[in-house]
Amino acid sequence: MTSSNLPVLLFLVPFVGALACAALGWQWRRLPALIALTFMAITAGLAVTGLAIVATRGPLRTYMGGWQPPLGIEWVLDPLGSIMAALVGVLGLLTLAGCAPSIQQEMPRRQSLFYACALLLVSGLMGMALTGDLFNLFVHLELASLSAYALVAAGRRGAPRAAISYLFIGSIGASLYLLGIGFLYAATGTLNMADVAARLSASEANLQLTGIVLVISGLGVKMGLFPLHVWLPDAYTLGPAPSTTLMAPLATKLSAYALLRILYWVYQVDYLQHHAAALQVLCWGGALAMVFGGVKAAVQQDLWRLLAYSTVSQVGLVALGIGLATSQSLTGAILQILNDAVTKAAMLTAAAALLSGLGIRSLQQLPGLVRSHALCGAVLVVGGMSLLGIPPLPGFYAKWYILLAAIDARQWAFVAAILLGTLATALYVFRIVEMLYFTTHEPRPATRATGSPGALTTTVHAVALALALAAIGLLNGPMVTSLIIPALPRGLP
Amino acid sequence: MDLPTLLILAVALPLVAAVAGLLAPRRLAEVLCYPASLATVVVAVLIALAVSQGQAPRVNVWTLTPGLDLALAGDALGVTFALLASGLWVVATVYSSGYVRAENLHHRPRFFMFFAASIGAAMGVALAANLLTFLLFYELLTLTTWPLVAHKQTPEAIAGGRRYLVFALSAGVALTAAVVATWQITGTLDFVPGGFLAGRVSPAGMAALFALFLLGCGVKAAVFPLHSWLPAAMVAPTPVSALLHAVAVVKAGVFGCIRIVAFVFGPDALRDTWAIHVLAAACAVTIVFGSLMAIRQDHLKRRLAYSTVVQLSYVVLGAALLAPYALAGAVLHMVNHGLAKITLFFCAGAIHAAQHVENVSQLKGLGRRMPWTFAAFTVASLGLIGLPGLCGFVGKFYLARGAVESNQLGYLALLLSGSILSAAYLLPIIRDACFGRADTTGDAAHGHGEATPTMVVPILMTTALVVVFGIVPAALAFQYALASKVAAQVFGVIP
Repeated sequence: MTSSNLPVLLFLVPFVGALACAALGWQWRRLPALIALTFMAITAGLAVTGLAIVATRGPLRTYMGGWQPPLGIEWVLDPLGSIMAALVGVLGLLTLAGCAPSIQQEMPRRQSLFYACALLLVSGLMGMALTGDLFNLFVHLELASLSAYALVAAGRRGAPRAAISYLFIGSIGASLYLLGIGFLYAATGTLNMADVAARLSASEANLQLTGIVLVISGLGVKMGLFPLHVWLPDAYTLGPAPSTTLMAPLATKLSAYALLRILYWVYQVDYLQHHAAALQVLCWGGALAMVFGGVKAAVQQDLWRLLAYSTVSQVGLVALGIGLATSQSLTGAILQILNDAVTKAAMLTAAAALLSGLGIRSLQQLPGLVRSHALCGAVLVVGGMSLLGIPPLPGFYAKWYILLAAIDARQWAFVAAILLGTLATALYVFRIVEMLYFTTHEPRPATRATGSPGALTTTVHAVALALALAAIGLLNGPMVTSLIIPALPRGLP
Repeated sequence: MDLPTLLILAVALPLVAAVAGLLAPRRLAEVLCYPASLATVVVAVLIALAVSQGQAPRVNVWTLTPGLDLALAGDALGVTFALLASGLWVVATVYSSGYVRAENLHHRPRFFMFFAASIGAAMGVALAANLLTFLLFYELLTLTTWPLVAHKQTPEAIAGGRRYLVFALSAGVALTAAVVATWQITGTLDFVPGGFLAGRVSPAGMAALFALFLLGCGVKAAVFPLHSWLPAAMVAPTPVSALLHAVAVVKAGVFGCIRIVAFVFGPDALRDTWAIHVLAAACAVTIVFGSLMAIRQDHLKRRLAYSTVVQLSYVVLGAALLAPYALAGAVLHMVNHGLAKITLFFCAGAIHAAQHVENVSQLKGLGRRMPWTFAAFTVASLGLIGLPGLCGFVGKFYLARGAVESNQLGYLALLLSGSILSAAYLLPIIRDACFGRADTTGDAAHGHGEATPTMVVPILMTTALVVVFGIVPAALAFQYALASKVAAQVFGVIP
């Protein structure tokens, strides 16, 4: 248990970067990107360093202003938090750098605001990963969400409506969460996670139960858990491509992480085992999400909407992993958070390259692309295979662990849901592959000037993300042993 | 080179050739297949030699996740399949070179590349040391053969490809569930001769697990009612139908069934369960139904496809009879059917390339114009029917002996009547071609009319194998020794 400033720096650096972008970016057109990417690179570097330090020397803590809890706010970089922080830092950097040309192309006059919002989002997500305080988690959740609303609203026709609906539904989720921690405060008189955990068992049962129900519902909205996902497809489809590419991989996953954190570090395994109904609801939501999201994705014509429903389906697997409450299922859930985040980042960056280079967003426009955009096609295929769970890509291991847990718990309905969800995933993945490689096409007039120089930058980042995906899959063994198993909560069966 | 390296090479060579073919200039993809296939077969022979001398090579390639390794091993059953797939890949490569030119196939690099990748996956299936490795390559095989089925990109080809995917991926899902459940129950996935599940699972759990496994492997083995993708997949280019849908892919399913029955469950655990009787009965239904369907087909490749459906069930039945002779017969027939059937498909492709006909009713009188092709077709047909002196006889003889040994005489009758049925769908083709009166209307007069030498020579090579394996099964390529070794390992009795 070492004291260090690193946890605070991780969310302060992008925060200061956001202010710098907003303050200085009005003057020079290239400056916002430069500032944002510099700050993001520093954040990513710090996050990876943090991961390495925590893995070798144990958790890092910061007390804001030196005040000890319960008065002060605590920041913790523990094994699980450091994984999430590294994920946010690295993916944030790669997607933002990859989308820089699209940002310039889509919103030349509003670049500084866009980058400011993007960095605020990253700062909020970092804070969610690191905070040790329930109310502070709410603050960061709202920081991330408010910037997300703005990022969506910057899109094309229909985006403001999608953003408003996202804002309404998201705010309901946030309020439910706030209400939930209110009940926890009433029960225990503190908001520090460790203190709440210590005092919870002595508090009144009804307050605890109401709290857990409200927290699950509130974070369920934020993570797009079926049937609370209704904001997600429109927001991710109608928002501008760079926003979706940044948000979709990270925002829902970090909310799922927050839920995992509160369930297993605040309520803890013992409580959950005696109140299995709450987790059952989570499991069923996840199971239905897998099948429903997969089937909805399979019937979409728009590549972006397809990937949005795919996110609903993949987050369902995370929820199922969290809900099954064994060490295997949580290993699977964490792997799935990593898998879907990196996969979606790679696929969306490739889709952004197609959109900015050729103006393509519909599946019908994909045939014939492999000649000119072979790499983008390959990234979409590799990502699809990981979603499908083809070994040795990481999606396989996530499914493997969660299947093991479901079988161990004799929950055959969930086993069936995972398998059906996989088949639905196969439907939409192979629709993409078939469109890319096996559909003969007529030469079509380019909708925009082809060969825009920015598309190359985006493609390179998409390929880098796909390679990272393959690396995570190949290094799964060492990663589980040295990073994920130490990150699991104590007392799990 | 030491044996573990050879094991890795046997799987890696075709896969590396495939990736290299994708990245290399267009013309190189085809050229690359020659050295790759030759090297692979040499490696397979070296491993088979070592295994037949009693060695048991094994290598852990990679730790996938704690406790689970990607591991390769050579045993008698595995190297038999590896030899079959890699050996016929050499022949099929020569044939494909002729075929793509005669049929003017487009996207040739893609064709050769996925062909090589499929063989690599089949080698992985053959040499997998545990269920997880098996599953991994089994899925890879599905993914690498799908582009070959849909290769022509016509609506028909895409529909055939979709049907193939739906069947194969559903099966993969069932197999995944079965493997995960096995791991959860037993904590081990390594294949053990005689099985490792006995006594560790309740009878009901055993039945459920067996059903899932067979759903997984039964699709590729085309056991009724999971067979309908195979005739639809005949829309693929003929070398694909020949090597993959008569040998590599379907044999991976059959091979999987043998692995599951003999190396996961084990004869002792399955004896007198109703599950194994259901499997045997499904095979019996497949044999009768498939034969009747084959007789009805006019499209030559589809008729051969239904014949494959039938013959695959012979092999699965051999495993399901749970007798040493039957198992040895299954392994022998797995190889022998492969040799005969690849010859028949090669002939069908040569006929289409040279005469542009694909229906049985259009073959009248073609025997005189394509004497070599139809001679080969006749030999292979007789081999498949099981004429003594040709390859199919040996395996069927052992299967029949296994039926007697296990005291299941009904299946003996079935095996024998199956042979008569196969004569009923193969011999009329030869009769029409050799003795029928040629249809002189249309573009019939093409002079000599054989296909190019690059297609005919491979046909003659596989025909020679059909004869050689029939006359001296014990002498060549350790085939007989390996088959009896499989039975000896599983049952502890040398047949």
